[in-house]
Amino acid sequence: MNRASLHFLLAALIAIALPLFMRSGTLASEVLIFAMAAAACNLLLGYTGLLSFGQGIFFGLGSYAAGLTLLHTSLPLALALVLSAITGAVVATGVGWLSIRRQGVYFVMLTLAFSQFFYFLAYTFKDITGGDNGLLNIPRPAIGPFSLGDSWTYYGFVAVLFLLLFAALQRVASSTFGRTLLAVRDNEERARAIGFPVRDFKITAFAISGAVTGLAGALHALLIGVAPLSNIEYHMSESILIMTIIGGTGNLFASVLGAGFYVIVSDLLSSIWPRWLLLLGGLLIVVALFMQKGLWGLLERLVEALPMGRKSSTKSSIEAPIQPESQGRGI
Amino acid sequence: MLNRRALLKLSSVAASSLLLPAGLRPAFAASGDITIGAPLPMSGPFAANGKFGSMGTAMIVEEIGKVLDRKLSYLEIDTEGKPATAVRKVQEAMERGVTLFSGGILSSEALAMGKEVAKGKGVFITTAGADEITGSECNKSTFRWSVPTFGAIEQTVRPLIEQLPNAKRWYTITPQYVFGDGLLNAAKAIFKEKGIEHVGNSYHSLTEKEFSGYLTNAMAAKPDALLILNFGSQSSDTLRQAVSFGMKNRMTILLAWASGLEQFEALGPELMEGVYFGAQYWHGIDSPFNRELVAKVQAKHKMNPNYAFASAYLTTKILIDAAAKAGSTEGPAVIQAMEGMKYAGLTGDEEIRAADHQVIKNYYLLKGKAKSAMKDKDDYADIISFGKSFQSPEQAQCKMA
Repeated sequence: MNRASLHFLLAALIAIALPLFMRSGTLASEVLIFAMAAAACNLLLGYTGLLSFGQGIFFGLGSYAAGLTLLHTSLPLALALVLSAITGAVVATGVGWLSIRRQGVYFVMLTLAFSQFFYFLAYTFKDITGGDNGLLNIPRPAIGPFSLGDSWTYYGFVAVLFLLLFAALQRVASSTFGRTLLAVRDNEERARAIGFPVRDFKITAFAISGAVTGLAGALHALLIGVAPLSNIEYHMSESILIMTIIGGTGNLFASVLGAGFYVIVSDLLSSIWPRWLLLLGGLLIVVALFMQKGLWGLLERLVEALPMGRKSSTKSSIEAPIQPESQGRGI
Repeated sequence: MLNRRALLKLSSVAASSLLLPAGLRPAFAASGDITIGAPLPMSGPFAANGKFGSMGTAMIVEEIGKVLDRKLSYLEIDTEGKPATAVRKVQEAMERGVTLFSGGILSSEALAMGKEVAKGKGVFITTAGADEITGSECNKSTFRWSVPTFGAIEQTVRPLIEQLPNAKRWYTITPQYVFGDGLLNAAKAIFKEKGIEHVGNSYHSLTEKEFSGYLTNAMAAKPDALLILNFGSQSSDTLRQAVSFGMKNRMTILLAWASGLEQFEALGPELMEGVYFGAQYWHGIDSPFNRELVAKVQAKHKMNPNYAFASAYLTTKILIDAAAKAGSTEGPAVIQAMEGMKYAGLTGDEEIRAADHQVIKNYYLLKGKAKSAMKDKDDYADIISFGKSFQSPEQAQCKMA
């Protein structure tokens, strides 16, 4: 079994296992929605070395695009989702095109600035977005003969899309394009010297990431029936980045782990202790200091530590984690 | 390449890492209990309000104990102050059989939760501020205890104009979103009616923390009165900066939408002395129900109830009383029992208007006291006036489906 198949199998296993062990279809759907967003973020952070604070923009705009389409037109759900992905891709192309002109901390600052810019746009144009109150009454129409009203039915719909997108992202990551992104991440100057159109590659990575994140935002709006202003706040970008980092930037499945861990642990901790954000902050410090390979790295170590895993681990080809902060030049 | 065994091990570890919490999560209530959902911001920037709200709900649930021969319990739901989280957790609670909800301090989360509870045919009562809750976004399941922006201005600006006939020039500072505009429009209508000159308005964003620029503009306009229309920490920051600019000595200051005791504790009497405040609730209200509540809270918690505590206590009580009256916890029956309900409330006689589910209650104009005049540590203000002012459901644009 090759690496991509293994990761897809694990993702499918998660999608199948969530309904068996979780009580809430809503929470399970949220896990997969954020898994999509984190995997899209990983394409930028882990594969291209771009630490983008713009993911919230694409997520929020995806929510608004789906909400506005379903509220004001009679277009079917599938088309609303496609429009959300296109919105995410188009805006990400613009944000990427402008942001990648600078590197390192200035790139990060630019994505942060765009994040604030789009937040204030959404806040200001309250007649369109609902402003602080959010865009309310977003319907969740049926898809063909299937009603998505029930939370577990909707989960099934989200799970199918999640697996399709996960497979597509894997395809992108393992393609020549994806391998070139890794080369850009590891040494941008060398990649440029070889003759790769580095800027175009980065912009394309942004567009793909924006499309998937926009679609995730749309699914989130359909899940809760609202496109809240908080979906486009920089906190959303922050959360998606944290999920990606906690999971590990080594591969796309790590993002699924990161999103699942973040969403479920947040839900659990918030029901135990009101100051749970402190624990989450502590956890992030621990990950940054001692677990730079994230949860995926921890799992690898666990497997290697187990007696029957040692033998196989010597031959294991699970890839090394990617640490853009230390290796990449183009954060 | 991983072998099959390693894959199976890895899969099981991965799956269990995600699924552990489901097994760990404690059951929130024994079957047969009537559970009141309390969706409140227990974490995040509004956690302090959530904490007192939760205490209020807990106290009344404990106090009543049993209704319809079933034990009462409550489910604290941490909304984290985020509409998305609030809706998701309310959905989960409804899937677990909760039909009655009291909470939602922030407008954005209250609006979203109200829609969600309506989908599940439950009942939701809130104290959030947005006019839309019982206005353009009203629905069959949502009730609101707090007075909307129209009444808040009518019961603060109008009586103050009458008290201060020489204050002919007013300046306003407004947060630029629906809530702020609601307050501003109501104030402008009174200014026009009373022949007051509105010498200027400064809009600011919802995330603003620095108000000195707006206050400088206000001082330049030489108003007789400054009307502050933001709320929470923004209104505290505006007032602090206004006082440090010496504006309190040059003009009358009215903060129309104050949070009450929790905000006054943060401001302190030095800042508050001589400043006017509008409030939904004050522990000094002279009503039988409030006097009783204050005594109970003092005995149990050694403190005076603040707005978050008292309103959560009352709104939860309304739900329980309505369930008892309906003989059921089913949403439609409880809604029917609540519509038109009259009861002795915190602010005196209160009534739930059937047409838009707005509670008709008093709003208060308070005036900050000097530290030397305070009878106890919480005696920050005197009640100057109070009354009930509400738009009709048609004016509020409520079209109940």
